[in-house]
Parts: sequence; C-alpha cells; structure tokens
Amino acid sequence: MMMALDNKELTLLHKTSREFARKELAPGREENDKHPFGPFFQHTLDQAFALDFFHITLPKELGGVGHGIEELCVVMGNICEEDSSLGGILFTHLLSQEILLRADEENRLKQVAADAKNAADFLIATSAMANPSEGWELPVAKKEGNSYHLTGSIDYVVTGGVARHALIPATIHSETGFSYFWTDLTQQRIDKSDPVLSHGLNACPAVDIRFNHAGAALIGEAQRGEEYFRKAFTPMQLVAAAMASGIMRGSFNEALAYCRDRKQGGRKLKEWSLMQMMLSELSIRLHVSEMLLSRACEAITQGEKGAESAVQAAAFHILSSATELTSDGIQAMGGVGYMKDFGQEKRFRDAGQVQALLGIFPMKKIRFFREFIDSGIKTRNP
Amino acid sequence: MISRREERMLREREPKFEDTLLSLIATGRQPKGIIREARKIIAIARKFNDEVARPASLVIDRKGLEDHRYLPWEYVKKANEYKLYTLFLPKMFGGQGYSPACSCYFMEELAATCLGMSNIVGAHYLGLTILLSTWNMKIAARICREVVEGEKSGSPCILTLAMTEPNAGTDSQNVEFMDKGGLGCHARRVDGGYVINGNKIFITMGHVSTWHIVQAYTALDKASETMVTFAVKTGQKGFSFGKQEKKMGQKGSVASELIFDECFIPDDQVCLDTEQAASLRRNIKETNEQLFAYIWSASRAGVGALGVGAARGAFETALDFASNHTIDGERMINHGWCQSMLAEMYKNVAAGRSLYSEANFANGMYGLLKLMNFKSIYYTNRFIPKAILLKLFSWICEKKAATWLFRLIYLDFQEDAEIDRVDGWGSMAKFAGSDAGAANCRMALELMGQAGVRHDRRAEKMMRDAKLLQIYEGTNQINRLNLFKRLVARSYEDVHTFSSSTR
Repeated sequence: MMMALDNKELTLLHKTSREFARKELAPGREENDKHPFGPFFQHTLDQAFALDFFHITLPKELGGVGHGIEELCVVMGNICEEDSSLGGILFTHLLSQEILLRADEENRLKQVAADAKNAADFLIATSAMANPSEGWELPVAKKEGNSYHLTGSIDYVVTGGVARHALIPATIHSETGFSYFWTDLTQQRIDKSDPVLSHGLNACPAVDIRFNHAGAALIGEAQRGEEYFRKAFTPMQLVAAAMASGIMRGSFNEALAYCRDRKQGGRKLKEWSLMQMMLSELSIRLHVSEMLLSRACEAITQGEKGAESAVQAAAFHILSSATELTSDGIQAMGGVGYMKDFGQEKRFRDAGQVQALLGIFPMKKIRFFREFIDSGIKTRNP
Repeated sequence: MISRREERMLREREPKFEDTLLSLIATGRQPKGIIREARKIIAIARKFNDEVARPASLVIDRKGLEDHRYLPWEYVKKANEYKLYTLFLPKMFGGQGYSPACSCYFMEELAATCLGMSNIVGAHYLGLTILLSTWNMKIAARICREVVEGEKSGSPCILTLAMTEPNAGTDSQNVEFMDKGGLGCHARRVDGGYVINGNKIFITMGHVSTWHIVQAYTALDKASETMVTFAVKTGQKGFSFGKQEKKMGQKGSVASELIFDECFIPDDQVCLDTEQAASLRRNIKETNEQLFAYIWSASRAGVGALGVGAARGAFETALDFASNHTIDGERMINHGWCQSMLAEMYKNVAAGRSLYSEANFANGMYGLLKLMNFKSIYYTNRFIPKAILLKLFSWICEKKAATWLFRLIYLDFQEDAEIDRVDGWGSMAKFAGSDAGAANCRMALELMGQAGVRHDRRAEKMMRDAKLLQIYEGTNQINRLNLFKRLVARSYEDVHTFSSSTR
C-alpha cells in the first residue's frame, strides 16, 4: 500500500476496511463466488452499508461521510485484495452517485440516503460495464405529460437484481445521444432476467432488463447523458484502478506465500532463479501500480493541471497490468493456482472483469487520444 | 565449390539443419495420403462440433460451474457414438486407422469450439500415447481391443494418464527432479506383480475412464531409476476415485484424484518396469527420460494444437462481435484499431499452427509416429482390410518378440539427437500455442467489453479454459527450460538444466 497514510482518519479507514475485508470477506470468498448458483451475500453487503462504505464519498450535507478519492481508493484496494465482488457493487453505486452529482441531482441522492435502511434501499444499479455511447442497445424514453416512460431493453445492469433503484441510459424518442433516467426497479412494468453468469465479480450480479412502458424520471437535462458519463469517467477509472491494484496485491501475496512453502526438485520454489524472476516481475508491477495510484489520487485531489489525462493514463496502465499479474499469479502456483480452493483464479477472472468497467478497453484508449492528445488539452507529459 | 564433408560440417553447426526445417525435410518422406486424411479428419471434427460440441459447450460449462462434481458421461458416450475414440487407433489394433499425424489438426478443430470438450477426446489419446510409448505390445493390444469393443457396445472404454501427485507436479514429469521431489506413489514388488500405494491428482477424465496408465516407484528416493508404468483398470481392488477438482474452466472434462490403497497389479498389467528395461541399450534412468520425451513430444504438440484452437475460437468470436457491433456510427470491423487487433489474433493462430505442425513433423520422422509414417507401413495400414491386419497383428502382439522388436526400433534405435529434437519442438509448440490461446482470449475480452465477460457470449469461457493450457503438460516455464535443455544447452560445456547446479 503506497498511499501516504499521513492523517489519522485515513489510517483508521485503512485499518477498518482491511479488518473488514480479512474478517468478513476473505473467509466467505469461495462460497460467495458461487453466486448465482449459491446464495447472495446480502448480510455482508449490509455490514458494508453499516460501516458507511456506500456513503464514503457522498457529501456530508447529503448524509454521507464526505471523504475524497484517496480514502475511497484505500477502501476499495483493501476490499478487492480479498474479494472484489463487493468492490464491484460499491463501484456501481458510486458511479451512479457520481453521475447524479454531475447532473445536479443532489436532492434525489439526499432523499435516497435518508430513506435507506439497508444496502438494497441505498444501492443504485447502472450499466457499469459499458459506456452507453458505444453502440449498446438502449431503451427508448418517451415523454408523456410531465413524466417519461421507458420501453425496450438494456443488457447487463449491474446490481439490477438486488438494488431498489437504477440509473438507466436511454435515448429519448426522435432525439440523438442518450440521457439518464431514474427508475424504481420494483415496479411491475420491468422484467429482469436471472443474474447474468459472468467471467468475474460473481457476487456482483448483473441482469438484463426489459422495460414495458415503465415510469422513469429524467436525470439532469435531456441528451446530456454522455457529458455526465464523461465527467464521472476519470475519477471512476481511478476507482477501477484501485480495485485492480487491490486484486494485484492479493495475487502477489498468495503467490509469494506459496513459493515460500512449496518445493520443486528438492528446493523451495522461491529458491529457483526462474521463480525469483517471476515473483520479482509481479512485485514490480504491483509497486508501480501502487505508486501510480497514489500519485494519481494526489493529483486529482489537489486539482493539478493536466491531472485528468495523467490519471486516465495511470488507470489504463494499472488495469492492463492487473490482467497480466493475475495470470502470472496463477502460473507461479501451477495447477493449484487454477483451482477454486485458492484465491488466484478468482483474482484472474476479476481482473479481467474490472478492466472492462466503463466500456470497451481499446475504445477507452481511443477516446483518451481524442480528448487529451489530439484536442490540444494540455497533458502532464506533452 | 564445397566438399561434401564441408557441407555436412556446416549444416550440422547450430542451428542444425535437421532441427530447424522439419516441414521441408518431411516433404517427400511423408506419405501423400496423410494430406487427404487431414482434410477428412477436419471435416469429421467440424461435424462433431456442429452436431454435438457447439450446442453443448455452454450447457456443460454451466453445469460444471454449478456443481464441480458434474461428470460429462453423456458427452463421453456421444464421442463414442461418433467413433472418436478409435479414430487414430491403427487398424492393426482394430481402430479406424487414421494417421495419428492428423490428430493435432483434429484437436485444433475441437478446441476452437470447446476446449473443455476437446479433452473428452484428447485425454484418451494422451493415455494411449503413454501406453504405446512403453511398447508393451501385448498390453497395448488388449487395451485397444477393449476400446474398440467399447465403441461397438456403446459402453465407452477410454484411457487416462496418471502422473501428477499432491506433492509432485513438475517433480513427477522430469527425471532430474524425481529423486529429490515429493513423489509418494509407491510400488512394492510382490509375487506375480506389484502393490501400489499413494495418490494421483489432476488426472484429466479420471472418473469416466476405464484404463489408467499410472506411474509409481519402487524406491521413492530413487524414483528416476525405479519408475514402473502400470495399466490399472477402474474397479480393481484397492483402486478408487477421490475428489474432483474445482477448476476455473475446462468444465467439459473432469480433473480427478486417483487413490491406490494396497492395490495389487498383476504382471500382465505392468507396461514397463526395471526388469523389462534391463535389456535396453540405455540405462533405466535414460530410458525413463526417453519415455517422458516420447510422451511429451506427442502430447505437448497436441496441447499446442489445443492452444491454437483456443486462439482461433477467440478470434472467431471477436470477429463475429466486431462485424455486428457498431461504434461511432461504424461497424467495429471497419475501425482500423480493431482490424489491427484481429490481424494480430489471426497471426497468433497461424504462428502457433506452424509451430505445432513442425513438432508434428518431428514426431512423424523421429518420434512416436515414425513407424506409422513409413510409406510401406502407412499404405499397408490403409489398404489391407482391417480384419486381416487385426487377426495377424493380434497374434504377433501376443509374442514377446513383438515387444522386443518395437522397443528395439523405438527405444534402442532412437538417437539422442532425435530425442532432443522431438522433445524440444514439443515444448516449443506447447508454450507457443498455449500462450497464443491465452493472448487471443484476452484480446477478445478486451475487444468485446461487457459482451466479452458474459458467459452466453463464449469469450469469457474461452479465457477460463485457455488458461489451463499454460499449466498442464508442464507449466510453460518448465517447457521453456526444456526447450533450452534440448535445443540450446547442448552446444555449451558445463551448462546445467533442471539440476542442483541450476540456480
């Protein structure tokens, strides 16, 4: 953990989240990962809710804790070191929160926070794995009187099966672009699929949703969905990177522990230079990622010039690195690394899933070029 | 201009001509009929894919994810119905007699659709590989006969290879590691046979197989010199199945634990032991190393083919997505970055295929497939009616002289340079093919975004399945070292591989 834990509050948060992850998440990791074939870990989710992890960055005046991105990344890293499914749920909720804040929907957030008695009440589902403007099928919103109604389908709404509310991107009838809509997922005009069986983050379930003239409220202004998404994108990419960084730490630690214990050819695995090289590579990836994460948090917190491009670049690097590290994390352990008795295979899958958060990975890089390199916006490294 | 002596000296300099241009050397030596067979084999695989594997692939995977104890009996029977277990058995053994040289192409096809299901067939041929590598013709003929009978009766009789142990993964696969490793499967000599005690793990298709080709050791601290290869049949007293591994992927095939508790194996199920090996040219340790080289050179080329299949499956899935998904008002397939990624994936497939084909040619000229690739034997196998060959060969295999002759040809006549060549190329094909498979699956996931991580869109399953290829049949790290040992280290003095002198 490279974060400069230089204030008591951050240190306390680090300890609390790490203890929670180790005591509450780690023991149930394999069992929770069986979802949707096993039960959903509602109890753990409610514990996280009670610890205010869902309120962590919600401004105090809206009923939250009011922490910044640095604190959030510390918590996310610790959680994802043990089980990133909860991290995925938190990410989805925080993405929705970010979009609502960008759309000046403070009152709605305040109301939801005030009414929430448990995690499900508070959770706001959304299509966290996609940039809605990347060609995915979206429902159509039609204005009728003062309200909107949604018709059509949207795939892969994360936490859509467990959350009470959702933030749904939709196209307004006969208009271009997309807009966000607030909808109550308990209404009868909504058909939800069974949880979608996914690559990773199994206990962070998504559903496909079909709207049949379902009531919905416009968020912010019409046709500004992409703008709200883009504004939320940079901080949320950093949160995804924090998740990936936590996954990497877990993978490295488990690989190292195994190589310290397991023998091959009469010698401990760690004593073979080939394995030393491999573990060294894992460690380098981890250290670099943690340093990038730490520096990116600092840059964004202090509002440094050019921070946005630097933060995105750092996040891309960390997300790619995580998929490679977790693959080698399995490799270091051989056959057992591939088995569910250990945490490595889950981390490998989760890293792949986290990389896909917020859209198609190569497209994110293309947009990075268009927004920062080609547009003339000054980056940190011109 | 250049003398013959000089020419020979120059071409034997590293990299040696014979080690590098295998496909060129094979041209003319290999019977032309193999090309026609390869075409037919690919068509057979595609038919099985269309009718069985593709519709079942996600169903099986889902069942395996839901319950790791799921056993793919239904599909073992389907493969049996499609006569896939006798496809590459020589007619002399009662099989269909397709050239084993075509098996890699067959495996690539199956893997391109479902890597998990490809092992329903592939693990069987791995078991056959080690059985045949011992050249105990009497046992080989008996077991092959049962495979053929199983096909006729509708009760599949398939084989496994049982090598890995709880405390010995790589240690069980390399003679250099065996004596210092954690091997625990002990064989005790008794009147009329051996008694085996110990466990084997990660045995692909163990629970659904009839015959298990098992390696155990009469002295665990001298395993490399006391290794015994047995054929153990499901149901034998003292032999039972333990747990099924909770694998990340390849749910179409089970990974089993085999438990031996005072399991008596009679002499007529001992494929090779120190007594049988005593008359061979090489000492027992060298013979065991040669045996491993026979197994790995064939099976690792096969894993390379599986990796290429996985790479192809990922490429085809990504291509299908890209041709149907639109971004920024244009189909993804018309975006340059996407075309470049797809081209890279295509290259990975082609490069991996070239490598496993080279390994295949090496096996055809210097390794396990050598005899079947002799034109006279190839065309005998092909054109003489199966009934005649079977009758004649069954009689021959009963004679001790048959085992002696095959061991003479395959074990004593094989030169050290040929062992290096086939084993080195097997390792190269394995790690290159499996790395290509994993790389393409990762690219497919990246390219497909949220569609890529959905089980029902296949790419994520391919990723889970492909990862295992980098681990089994020796991790890719071990295979890199083996390539170095076989094709590089020999040119330098005092170079140590897999030994205590290696850091």
